Order: sequence, then C-alpha cells, then structure tokens
Amino acid sequence: MQKINKNVVLALLSLTSLVFLLFQLYYYKFYLSQKNGAVFSKVRGSQSGQDSTRWHVVRKFLGLIASHNIPVYLIDPLILGLVDKDIEQIRSSPDGPSPECKYFCAPRDFTTFALLDKTWKHEVGLFRTAEKMGFQWLKIINKDPRLDGMDDLSGIEIPLHYIFKLASHAIHLVVFYERSGNYLWHGPLRLKQHMDRKFVPFRKLHFGRYPGAYEKPQLLLVSIDDLKVQIPKNPSNFLEEVSHARFLECRYREARAFLQLYPDDASLDAVEFRKKAKSLLHLAALTLNNLGVKFWLSSGTCLGWYRQCNVIPHSKDVDLGVFIRDYKADIIPAFQKAGLPLKHKFGKVEDSLELSFQGEGDIKLDIFFFYEEDDHIWNGGTQAKSGKKFKYLFPKFTLCWTEFVELKVHVPCETLQYVEANYGPDWKVPVKTWDWKSSPSNVQYNGVWPVDEWDDVIQIY
Amino acid sequence: MDEWKPNPAIKPHKKRSWYLAWKYKLMNQRTLRKLCQTGAVLFLLVTVIVNIKLILDTRRAAYEEEEESAQDYDDELLNVEVPRHPVSNKKVLDVEVYSSRSKVYVAVDGTTVLEDEAREQGRGIHVIVLNQATGHVMAKRVFDTYSPHEDEAMVLFLNMVARGRILIFTIKDEGSFHLKDTAKNVLKSLGSQVAPFLSWRDMWTFVGKKGGEVYGEKHAKSPALSTWGDPVLLKTEVHLTSMEDAECHWPDTELNRRRKRFCSKVEGYGSVCSCKDPTPIEFNPEPLKDNKVFDVPVAVIAGNRPNYLYRMLRSLLSAQGVNPQMITVFIDGYYEEPMDVVELFGLSGIQHTPISIKNARVSQHYKASLTATFNLFPDAKFAVVLEEDLDISVDFFSFLSQSIHLLEEDESLYCISAWNDQGYEHTAEDPSLLYRVETMPGLGWVLRKSLYKDELEPKWPTPEKLWDWDMWMRMPEQRKGRECIIPDISRSYHFGIVGLNMNGYFHEAYFKKHKFNTVPNVQLKNVESLRKDAYETEIHRLLGEAEVLDHSKNPCEDSFVPDTEGRVYVMFIRMEQEADFTTWTQLAKCLHIWDLDVRGNHKGLWRLFRKKNHFLVVGVPASPYSSKKPSSVTPIYMEPPAKEEGAVAVPVVAAAEQT
Repeated sequence: MQKINKNVVLALLSLTSLVFLLFQLYYYKFYLSQKNGAVFSKVRGSQSGQDSTRWHVVRKFLGLIASHNIPVYLIDPLILGLVDKDIEQIRSSPDGPSPECKYFCAPRDFTTFALLDKTWKHEVGLFRTAEKMGFQWLKIINKDPRLDGMDDLSGIEIPLHYIFKLASHAIHLVVFYERSGNYLWHGPLRLKQHMDRKFVPFRKLHFGRYPGAYEKPQLLLVSIDDLKVQIPKNPSNFLEEVSHARFLECRYREARAFLQLYPDDASLDAVEFRKKAKSLLHLAALTLNNLGVKFWLSSGTCLGWYRQCNVIPHSKDVDLGVFIRDYKADIIPAFQKAGLPLKHKFGKVEDSLELSFQGEGDIKLDIFFFYEEDDHIWNGGTQAKSGKKFKYLFPKFTLCWTEFVELKVHVPCETLQYVEANYGPDWKVPVKTWDWKSSPSNVQYNGVWPVDEWDDVIQIY
Repeated sequence: MDEWKPNPAIKPHKKRSWYLAWKYKLMNQRTLRKLCQTGAVLFLLVTVIVNIKLILDTRRAAYEEEEESAQDYDDELLNVEVPRHPVSNKKVLDVEVYSSRSKVYVAVDGTTVLEDEAREQGRGIHVIVLNQATGHVMAKRVFDTYSPHEDEAMVLFLNMVARGRILIFTIKDEGSFHLKDTAKNVLKSLGSQVAPFLSWRDMWTFVGKKGGEVYGEKHAKSPALSTWGDPVLLKTEVHLTSMEDAECHWPDTELNRRRKRFCSKVEGYGSVCSCKDPTPIEFNPEPLKDNKVFDVPVAVIAGNRPNYLYRMLRSLLSAQGVNPQMITVFIDGYYEEPMDVVELFGLSGIQHTPISIKNARVSQHYKASLTATFNLFPDAKFAVVLEEDLDISVDFFSFLSQSIHLLEEDESLYCISAWNDQGYEHTAEDPSLLYRVETMPGLGWVLRKSLYKDELEPKWPTPEKLWDWDMWMRMPEQRKGRECIIPDISRSYHFGIVGLNMNGYFHEAYFKKHKFNTVPNVQLKNVESLRKDAYETEIHRLLGEAEVLDHSKNPCEDSFVPDTEGRVYVMFIRMEQEADFTTWTQLAKCLHIWDLDVRGNHKGLWRLFRKKNHFLVVGVPASPYSSKKPSSVTPIYMEPPAKEEGAVAVPVVAAAEQT
C-alpha cells in the first residue's frame, strides 16, 4: 500500500517536473530569441554589478550612426548626472582614458540620445545597417505639431522616437525639432495599437511621457569610458531643463471650433493690435529671460492662448504672472531700459504687488506677482482712487512650456482650472466689457490699504 | 532577465540525516535505493516549487508591464483600423467600356474607374492605362481631338506608356475632327481596326495591350453629319500577367526602389520607367560656391497637374546649388499622383484640404503653404516660392545667392523675382543685368519672412473673397511703394498651358516666346547699384549716355532703332500722370510684349532691349526722369483703338499670370 503510494507520487512528480522542464525550455527559447543570439565576452566591467553589455551596445550604436554621419548627442539624465560631477575633469582631459568603466556600465535598460531632425536625411539605409548589426528597431511617428495649428493641412506624420534594441539593452533616440520661437521640441511617445508593447519596458524611459521643450544646446565632444560622444556643454543646466521641460500644445482643434462660433476679428485695428501685442510680448520675454525671472501668460493673454491660440484682439493689454519669490528689484529698471516706462506700481513686495509698463501705442504690460499659500495661490489688485485691495485666488499650479505667437513661454500646466478660476465656467464665451474688480469669478475683497502707506503702494506715473 | 538555472548547491534540510544515510548506504542496498528515491522526490519537489515561482514572477512582471505601458503610452486613437486590401489573385479582369455622345464610362471588374456625363466637358478620346499585373488604373487622360494639336499630345502620351500595359479608349461626343493620320497610325499599330477610318461623330471603344493582343473593339458610325453614332458598349475580358513580367529588373538600390514604387503605380512619364535605360531621378548638380540660399526653404505650390510637377521638379533638382532637403511640395487637394511624383524624387510633400473655390482656393492654398513653410523652417528669414508649371534655370540659385542680401538690407524692396514680365526673346539680352521694378511678377520669387509674418499673413484675403493672391499682393495697400528685383533674362519659364486662368491661345501669345536663361554660373554685374539710391544714380548715368531716338519715326517700326549693337537708346512717350499708361500700352502691344496691364516700370521708366541695344522708355511728364528730355523732342503719343478700350483689358488682366 505504502509502496504504491510512493510510486504514484513519484510518477506524478516526474510528470509535473517534465511539464515544467518543457516550460523552462520554452522560456529559455523565448529569451534567447530576444537576445538575438548576441553574446558578449566580458571585456569591460570586471567588477561585479557592471554591465558590459550596455557599453557594447552603446559602442555599436555610436559606430552605426557615425557610419551614416548622423550627429547625435547624449541626453541620458542618469549618465549626465554622473558626468556632471566630473565635468571639470572630463573637460580638461578630452582624450584621457578613464581608468574604469564608470558611466556606460551601470546596468540600465536604456541609454538615451538626441538627434536634431534637420541634421539628417531620413535615410532608410541607416535601418538596414542597424539590422545587419543585429539591432531591432522601432520607430514612433505621430502628427507634425508644426502643421497642427493649420486648419487644413493634412497632418503629415514625422518620426518622434526611435528605439534600437540589441541584447538586453536599448538605445532610445529622441528626435528634436526646431520650432518657431527658437527652441527645440520633442514629441510624446505614444504606441499605436499594432505596436509591440513589450518591445522594451516603455515605462522606464526618461523622455516621451510628455512632449518637451528645450533651448538649443551647445555641444561638447567628450571621451568617457573610451567612447567619444557629444554631450550638452553644460550638463547641469540641461538636467535642470529636463525636470521642467513638459510642453503643452495649443488646443488648435478647440480653437478652430471657437473661431467657427465666433469668427475672428480681421479688422485693421485688430491686426494692428495683435502685431503690437506680439512685439510687446517678445520684448517682455526677452527682458525677463535676461534677468532670469520665470514668468507665465496670465489673465486675458492666457485665455487667448487657451481659447483661440492667439491674442484676443479686443483685450487691451498683455498680462504676465511671476511668482513673488522670483521678484527682482532690477525688473523696473530693466523694462525702462528696454523702452517700457513704468506706468504704475501697486502694492509692495510683501503684499499684492503689481507692475504696469507702458508699451508702444497704448498697450499696457501688466505683471502680476503671485503669492503661494499652502493650498492656493493668489495675486492682488488695488483700486487707485479708493485704496481698496482685491485678491484673486487660484488653485495650485505648476508651469509648462508652450508656443505662443512664435515665442516659447510658460503657461500653467493646469490651464483649465486656472482659466476657470479667473473667468468662470463661461470662459468660452467672449466678453467685451470686463471689470477687473467684479467680473473675475475668483475675486475677493481684501480690505483697504492704510492711508499712510498710499504713497508707497499706489504709484501712478 | 537572466535565464533561470536550477541551483546545484541546494542542500537537504538536515545535515544530520544526510550523514546518517551515508552510513546506511554502506550497510544496506535497500536503504540505498530508498535513499535515492527520497532524493529524487526531494529534488523534484524543489524543481516544482522553483518553477512555480518562476512562472508567477514572469507573469506578474508581464502583467505589470502591460499595465504600465497601457497607462501612459497608449495612443489616444485606439480605433485606428488598418485598411485591408482584399487580396485578389484573380487572373481575369472584366472590362466594360461605354462610348456615346453625352456619356462615357469604364468599369473594371465592376468598379467604375471613369464616368463622365458632364455637359460640355470631356469631349474627345478618353484613355485609361491599366497595370497588366494588378489591373490598377495607372493613368487617365482625355484628349480633345476635336481641337487642333490634341492628337499630338495623345501620340506623345501613348509613346510614353510602357509596353505590356493595358490601354482602354473611348470617345465622348466627338474625337475625330483633328485626329490626324499620325495619331490614327499609332492607334492602328496598337491593333485597332477601326481607328484609320474613324470619322465625324463616330462612337468608338477599344481595349488592347500595348505591343500585344487586342481584347476588343466596337464602333458605331454616325449616319449623318448632324447626328451621332449610336452608343456602344464593349464588354471584354483581360488576362492578367504575373507581377514579375509587369516590372523592370533594375538593380536593387534605394533610388530604384523609389522608381519601382512609382512605375508600378502611374504611367505616362516616359523614360523614367524604362527598363533598359531609365533616366536618373537624382541629379547631383554642381554645388554653388558660397551659396547664400542653401538654407532657404523652397515651397513648391502644386495642384493636380502631376506631369507639370514632374517636369518642374526635374529642372529644380538639376539647378546648381539646390538643396533638396529644403524643398517642400504643397499639393492643393488629396491627389495621389502628384504625391507619387514628389516621392519619386525623395522630397517631402504636404497635402492641403481645398478651401473655397477658384482663385480664392489658390489664394488659401498659398497662405497655408507659406505659413507651413515658415513653421517647418523656423530659422529661415526667406522662402523661395515656386509653382508647378515653371522650368527653373540652371543658375536660379546662383542668381538668388548673389542678390538675396539686398532683400535683407534694403527696406525698400518687396521681393526678388526670377521672372521679367517684359523679357521676351526679342526684348531681353543680358543675363547679368538686373532691374528694379514697381510690379510684383511672381513666377519664382523670394519672400521675406518679416514681410509675410508682420504684414501679409494677418491680412491675407479670407476664403470668401474671391481674390487672386498675386493681384492682392500687387495692391498699393500691400506693396506700399516697395519694389522687386528682377533679372533681364528670366530665371524661370512658364510652361503651363492648362490652368485656372490659362489656355493654349493665351500661353502662345504671352508666355511661349519668353526668354529663359540656360547659361550656368552667370556673374551678375550691377548688384550693388540696385540699392534704392544707387539705382537712381545708375539710371541717371544711363540716361546721360543714352542717345535720343528720332521721335518723328513710328516706334512700332523696326527701323525706329538703328541697326547697331550694344548702344543705349532712349525714347519719350506721353504720360500725363503716374497712372496714365495709354501710350505705353499701345507701344507694348506693337512691340509684342506684356500689354494686359502695366509691368516692369520704375518711376515711369521701362528698360528693355531692342536689336541688342538697351532701350529706355520714359513717360513724360509724369516720370522724374523727364528732365532728361531735350526740349526739342515731343513725347510720342499713341492713341488706343477706339472700340477695344476697356472692354478687353479688364477680364483678361484678371486672368493674366497665376494659373
């Protein structure tokens, strides 16, 4: 009795293990095929925890693109972070051999490179060579945003990302496009339905969750880990950009729908106003950027961007927002130097600061300073004749890049909440009469300035 | 992920029992067997557990991945359906061809590929070319052989069709009046029995393979001059050949792959699809030294005239200093064939949804194209604007490279144009000479970005205004007194005969005899003197040395200008105020130059060549140069013919140019 039992158990176990053995074989085959049969000898990274595969893949990739004369540069945040620490050393010895594999051997799934679209000619040959070298590649294309704003051009699709995979490592090549406003843009990475979702662990990519906007970087050719690569000249600046690079496209489709409902004002006055507002905005952006003051489109200008991707012709001014922590005393002299005299100054740095500058031809540039609280952000307003104070409340927001009248500028990422806070749920309906003291839906009465402070907090020129 | 390996170092639970078993083994065989069994069981158990773990792990990982990638990276357009082409491996096509007075149609396998029952349109012989392997329509043409010269075009087209293609012919209304013997013989050589005897208002259908068998022909004779032949319907079968036979075997290169894609889709482009000796589709013209326009984007404005576009792009890509990467072709409408042409040359093309009608449609297409160009090339300060019906001179970019700095520096300039409205064979002479003119010729020109972005784009005529964009650009509100620079000998040639505002007669009268530069690397001579003030000095110098012609003679006569070469002559015509062009128009008419509106003037002065002499015409007293007139000379006045006045000019002027 006992014996039979034992045999049965034995047979059962053998059977299961056989089944599992088959399973194992299957998996083995699966992974083998993914690895593409490439097996690298351990030349580099003798220390444990290092991954010579990565180094080899990067080297092969650099060879591939060099053979096709394609100028790519390294934008991998993790590597650039390491490089940044040793930047002086790397700069001073551009060809010096590094003692150990320090940058390209940390085991990671990806190494990220950037490619400027206009520097290469979409040659198919590249991919043929890549395949011959054993790379598997994936191309992610999507609509060209540079043409998206135009009513009726069939959105041609452009390559936004490439992924080259060899063995267990993948190269993520982000394609950057130059756009109006003198900046570089990369697109989001979105997989189409038929695409292989498991080609690489997409979640771990550093670029592609959102589109991003960057300054045109200056490049530096360095030799790290025996590999010659181009990197941004100032990696720490670049890394800083990466963390705030998220880009919002204007809502062109909604803007078109809006213009169907409320046709655009094409009168000469409107054309003229828009032209002036645009040049005022360009001048303001130049001035604030030179000072290093971060600003965003606020109030009517922000509404114009969000609702119709353009300056609202019947608005009378250009509105910008600045966090009070970014306030600099130089702002007023800098604008004056740029030819924009101060028109009035309300409030003080501690409370409700607001500056207005006189632009060319009756257009006013308003800069509102925003104060951050725990659960909201506000800016203040002052009525000159009565000394009454007002407070405009906004839900908390972060800043995103966008393109507006050929300018790369910030807008609140949570634009809808921002606009709704300011203009209420009916922001889609154009209003020609607007009273800044009562029309905004987020206005609160905030007391009166003490009379003895009036000279300071109400300055009109 | 590393592949899993069973760990050989697994230790049994108790060290002690291991040791005991070892002891037993020495004592008892039976115990040994039992021991082995236990060992095996243990081992198996471990394998099972490890395996289960492995499976769970991988499944979880896979699940997470799927979930993750699904969260952020899914395209929002989830319902994109890949169109599926039914794979037909049918060997026989059913073809139906109908010919009648008011309607023609062709159906292939039940699909109508041609249907024309529009009134007063589509008269003549309709030709359809099918791919002999796939049955796809490769070309569709209609030749109005009731009118002269159309039969020549048909012969030209039929000669370009590759051997083996299937040709379908059908007549609508009338197709024999100007069908000459040459054409009839070509049709006969294709196997048609009836073609040589086709006559007035006969109905005719024919299906055959080029250089091969005839699949069917039907004919209905017209019984009398005033009536048409009965409608005929031809039903026949066409046997398809294999793909192999239908294609050429060019060496497998990137270029040839493009060529193959093109040639299997469309027909009528001649030697580019020749199997034996195909024309190149890459030209590699000499690069220009110090090319100032290498980075200037080139916008090619196109409609649905793919043959024109083909000819245009060939000449453009052959011009020295061309940079194909900067070229974008904008196609007005979702036409496939122009796009095929663009792809053949490896250029980028963008299609534009047509807005509005006629001239306004062209105008909207221009606006979209220009905006897109500056969006795609945000660094560009200029754009070169070309149209699909232009030949581009070999030194087009050299001409622009030498002159473009003027457009950047001289605020009083509106554009640089490659076209001289008055530059005909008999009135243009000097390829190195440039002018300043108050009119905007278009037809291959350079636009400044600031002009477009700051002035033109915001005010561009809206779709409901049926305006010509070029007429609008010439209006004083836009031009604001600025001038364009043009060459004496045009760097573009307008070859379009079919177009919105164009017909054969008009082309013959005003465009055919236009002079076109074919000399490479012309060194322009007076570039710096084209700046606003320098040009005045230049003109005064020129007038100073010019010989005054004999004003008693008839200026239309050839003898008005002496039989000399290389001299400068001046004549004075009457021009009461700035807008008085009465005499000029009459003079232009008799000189056989552009007379439909006023072109090529600069402050009441026109410059052209007659008998290889520089010939200046000054309008007195409106022109500031009138002071150069000797007091003895009476300005010539030419009266307009009484009845033509006004009536002719207005409609034709609107139709001039822009096609």
